[in-house]
Amino acid sequence: MVVYSFYIFDRHTECIYAKTWLPTSASSADTTTTGALTTTSAPRATSSDDAKLIFGTVFSLRNMVRKLGGDDDAFVSYRTAHYKLHFYETASSLRLVMLTDTATLSMRNVLHQIYINLWVEYVVKNPLSPVEHKGGAGVRNELFELALDQFIRSLM
Amino acid sequence: MASSKASRLGEEVWKTRMDKVNAELVVLTYGTIVAQLCKDFDSDYVEVNKQLDKMGYNIGLRLIEDYLAKSNTVRRCSNFRETAEMIAKDGGQVGFKIFLNIIPTITNWTSDGKQFSLVFDENPFADFVELPDDGRAQDELWYSNILCGVLRGALEMVQMQVEAHFISDVLRGNDTTEMRISLIRYIDDELPPEDD
Repeated sequence: MVVYSFYIFDRHTECIYAKTWLPTSASSADTTTTGALTTTSAPRATSSDDAKLIFGTVFSLRNMVRKLGGDDDAFVSYRTAHYKLHFYETASSLRLVMLTDTATLSMRNVLHQIYINLWVEYVVKNPLSPVEHKGGAGVRNELFELALDQFIRSLM
Repeated sequence: MASSKASRLGEEVWKTRMDKVNAELVVLTYGTIVAQLCKDFDSDYVEVNKQLDKMGYNIGLRLIEDYLAKSNTVRRCSNFRETAEMIAKDGGQVGFKIFLNIIPTITNWTSDGKQFSLVFDENPFADFVELPDDGRAQDELWYSNILCGVLRGALEMVQMQVEAHFISDVLRGNDTTEMRISLIRYIDDELPPEDD
């Protein structure tokens, strides 16, 4: 399993956290997937454009899913030829998005764990972190970033 | 969610997932805050109520995330009655149960289902408390007003704008401690800003 990138969007639709795990040179032997991903993401749009595109996509898909399947239905993931996008939304309108390779099974549980064990513990409960994370303020703290990186690496 | 399930959830979360602190520590800490506010604002109790509500609001904005994480809530409540039950439900609470281990009673619904009262049989904040005997505190100070703010902040994060205030308090000599909560509106999803 390979995790490519991870995004958090707040209830104001702003991307407050983005992280990419670039494929290491060792794994580039697997040219079909990693090769395709690096060529599409590296030279093209900036990362903030990526985040906006991703948010627009998941937001529309989520709304469409609810319209077709009722309010209880949830948009979970979609898959393309090159990657799979996983989506998790909390009742407080925090949206977690993760891009992985296509063979990965559902990451819903993983995203849920990130919310419970990392987001709530290290960001929300940090008394000095702001409530609103404008421009990512308060999210980029060492504990959260380290724990997230460790957690993701433990999955790979 | 069926009420028996909600009650089990509250009990289980309280028992297994919550770190506990000494109740007297909470009482004394909270009491100190109120006392300091009374001092800072020269016993302007209306202002003290306002400050407590504001503090509670800021707590609520964060506390809701812990609540959602601990109670494993994924689904929105489908109506305001269900919301009330997740805050406090007969025979085993969820919200108040897991944080304060108390069970307020839900009562006095209006017919449109948009207003209800929480009646507190016990209030851990108010142990040992006697309001100042200056002839005004009894009429003006809502000692536990922080709770109103907490509910307001927490519900705002799950897209409900509510108004909450106390209408009676045993500390003032009333028979019950009662908080009134009214749903003002559901907040719509925010849309991403238009590009280009």
